[in-house]
Amino acid sequence: MLRRPTARRKKEVAEVQLNLVPILDAMVTLISFLLFTMSFLAIVSIESPFPEASPEINQRKLDEPPLQLTLSVREGETEIWSPFQKIESRKLPHLEPGKPDTASIHEALLAIKQQFPQEKQVVLAPHPGLNYDALVGVMDAARTLEPTDPPIYFKNETTGMDEAAAALFSDVVFGNLLGEE
Amino acid sequence: MPARKSIRSRASRRIKIRDFELPLTSMMDMLVIILVFLLKSYSASTNSFSSEKGLKLPISKSQEIPPDSLQVVVTPEGLNFENQRIVQFVMSADQLGTEAATYSLKPEDLDENGMRIKSLYDSLTRAREKAELLRAQSKQRDEKGQPLPFDGVLAIQADQRVRYETIRRIMYTAAAAGYKTFRFLAMSRES
Repeated sequence: MLRRPTARRKKEVAEVQLNLVPILDAMVTLISFLLFTMSFLAIVSIESPFPEASPEINQRKLDEPPLQLTLSVREGETEIWSPFQKIESRKLPHLEPGKPDTASIHEALLAIKQQFPQEKQVVLAPHPGLNYDALVGVMDAARTLEPTDPPIYFKNETTGMDEAAAALFSDVVFGNLLGEE
Repeated sequence: MPARKSIRSRASRRIKIRDFELPLTSMMDMLVIILVFLLKSYSASTNSFSSEKGLKLPISKSQEIPPDSLQVVVTPEGLNFENQRIVQFVMSADQLGTEAATYSLKPEDLDENGMRIKSLYDSLTRAREKAELLRAQSKQRDEKGQPLPFDGVLAIQADQRVRYETIRRIMYTAAAAGYKTFRFLAMSRES
């Protein structure tokens, strides 16, 4: 009569296996959800208010002339100037027709910002033929501070503390919306 | 002899009973990597801006994520508002078929000395009136108990070749229709 085969070896072989199927289900659901709700189109925006004019604003400007930093982008050059002669006017020729020299514009604006650290507004007056790509480039040059730029400190009027400026001239206003060149 | 046969047949039965199991561990590893990557690059955006086919947006250094608002899409061929073509541009005859072709608005689409785009003005006014009506019907009120004011924000998504004269007309028209803030949309430099 044969002896019953031992069950000892079989017991050793049997492993405890984690049931991965529900975890897998959860992961597939999560990945599907993330893929569906993810925005692959990374759109950013540059905000600009419509310029306002009123007799009070004009009177205030006459009483205390502001910097009113203006960037006139013409066909062959960009002029950085102030209608109240607060800065010396500077003309920067384009790199090629229709392509303003954004690096030089940024550098010139950086020097002005160091002179007027509290100032936030820049008036942009592009010529009608300038394309949207160049327009965004000029707005970026006027608004964004690069990590390589030297820090610019200004006194926060509410806290009285010195703070580093986060942007160059963050408020871009169009100065020729009514049709003038 | 019959006993040996019996053991063999038992062994073969055991093999048959054992199920085929897919090695899930490697699949799990892969899914975990995908999940980590997706979570890392996930940006929960509150807007529903979509791009038009063939529209080339410029690249911007800005990091501001635009919240949802009404938008005008300007392709080189025309102007879309709320996914509908409302203005068709025309190409000058001498530039037909050339790479540097520029499109412009038809004179009959404009008024107020060529500055206001008629159909855009009508569409924007209708959208503003609808928004104001919805706000009046909403239970949300400001401190004085009045309906929340119309925010007047218009997003402008334009092809990189579109000229400023067209964008300026859009801004002029929008301002006349009661929109006082413009958001210029562009592709993020970091994408």
